[in-house]
Amino acid sequence: MTASAQAVSVSLNEEQRDCYQELTNVAMGQAADRLARLLDVYVVLPIPKVNLIEASDLRMAIQDAETDKAMSAVCQGFIGSGIAGEALLLFNDTSFNDLASLMNYSGELDRYGELELLMDVSSLLIGACIQGIGEQLEIHFNQGHPVVLGQHCKPGDLLKAGNHQWTQTLAIEIHYTIEHVNIDCDLLLLFTEDSVVRLNNKINYLLD
Amino acid sequence: MTDANIELGDIHWLMDILQNIDVGLVVLDRDYNIQLWNGFMESHSGLSPQKTRGENLFELFSEIPRDWFMKKAEPVFQLKTRTFTIWEQRPYLFRFKNYRPITGRASVMYQNTSIIPLESIDRSVNHICVIIYDVTDTAVSQADAESARESLSERNRTDLLTGLNNRNFWLSEMEREFNRCQRSVLPSSLVLFDIDGFRRINLNHGHQTGDQLLRSIAASLQQMLRQTDIICRYSGEMFAALLVDTDEEEAAVFAERIRVMVSNLQDSHLPTDSPVSVSLGIARFQNDFPLAQDWLQAADKALYHAKQSGGNQYSIYQPEHTPGQD
Repeated sequence: MTASAQAVSVSLNEEQRDCYQELTNVAMGQAADRLARLLDVYVVLPIPKVNLIEASDLRMAIQDAETDKAMSAVCQGFIGSGIAGEALLLFNDTSFNDLASLMNYSGELDRYGELELLMDVSSLLIGACIQGIGEQLEIHFNQGHPVVLGQHCKPGDLLKAGNHQWTQTLAIEIHYTIEHVNIDCDLLLLFTEDSVVRLNNKINYLLD
Repeated sequence: MTDANIELGDIHWLMDILQNIDVGLVVLDRDYNIQLWNGFMESHSGLSPQKTRGENLFELFSEIPRDWFMKKAEPVFQLKTRTFTIWEQRPYLFRFKNYRPITGRASVMYQNTSIIPLESIDRSVNHICVIIYDVTDTAVSQADAESARESLSERNRTDLLTGLNNRNFWLSEMEREFNRCQRSVLPSSLVLFDIDGFRRINLNHGHQTGDQLLRSIAASLQQMLRQTDIICRYSGEMFAALLVDTDEEEAAVFAERIRVMVSNLQDSHLPTDSPVSVSLGIARFQNDFPLAQDWLQAADKALYHAKQSGGNQYSIYQPEHTPGQD
């Protein structure tokens, strides 16, 4: 029997939630520091939102991220020490011009130009965040190749209603903004149900 | 695994794995000079590790754009973070042949790459490793799926006999235009037309001749369309045109050109004894049409009027046109 087929019941108490928030804060701090060094920008550090959400709520969480504006999204799987998840980076479409100037991208902003930007930014943001969390938990995460879920899609079309093998996921949501520029993107870190149990164990170890 | 744990014998078989693993491994130093070049890279490039060692990546492989690659690689050195490229961005980093040169359908190997930092003992990153994955099959099957989707949607909107749009597609476009017209001051017009005495042609010369006539008219029509005109085979021998930003006078010019085109139609497959002609009905959008259907009906009435008046002519819809009059 696979882990996902078992009825894993996961829960999250206040203490654990705070701990995840703190973990993410530290990781984000490192990520922001890196971005500052590489791009010479000041990243506004938000307070990450940590929630257990139902599969059916994921769509809503994404739609919530940006009402009904067209968006582009990149996802990337990661796995390490039996803890698996996906990072989902959602871009508001209006951000591309500012992204281009931020990344010193001089090419034309057509579909391919935007794809380059999506990939470059997601490599930086996702990589830095995953690595930061991994370092604190002493987990080496392997990362798969990023996949572009869609360019200029309605938020609802990004996630195809599939037969999700999970009912609940731990979602850490980070809303990135960068000072003085119109950049608006959401990073969602989603962990599988069985990973949450393992993660909680790690966290409890930190809390003790 | 730390260095102390590895015996000399172990290094031997570790190297063996490195050589034989079916993934490209390239280690680069801070100046992008090649420090390691595994068996995969040797086989596909035809360059031995001895030949590549110490050589500059960009000098040896002119297909790799320096600026582009450095944008991906510099963060790896500076931030110790991994970066990735996918084939959708650039089909390949190194121009290698398809791994299946005979049955494979792509001529090149599509590649995804990961660029990972390699820490030295003092934890600084002076080397990076580029890992090359062959994703040709994924890329080819995705291209297949896309072209299948395209041809499916093409098929859904095409009339198979004439290659023009089909009625369903045209009606939905017409409906959209109808809605747009209600908010717009620019006029748009419909032209409905059919071939005079088409039944007689079918009867006297056979359906194949009739079909050929339809195809021939469709081909000529396609030559005289503007970019924004949308035309379809509406039914049997009837065609419909949606002319955006066109009033009834301009539509009449268009209609007359069609009439002349059809009466001058030269096609060796068609009988020469009986001349072919069309009748056309024109209706401009009017605000008092409650439904898109009413606009279409107006054009239909005008067409009926043209037929009643002897055919081989166009007629512009007047509200007093009712079937059976004149």
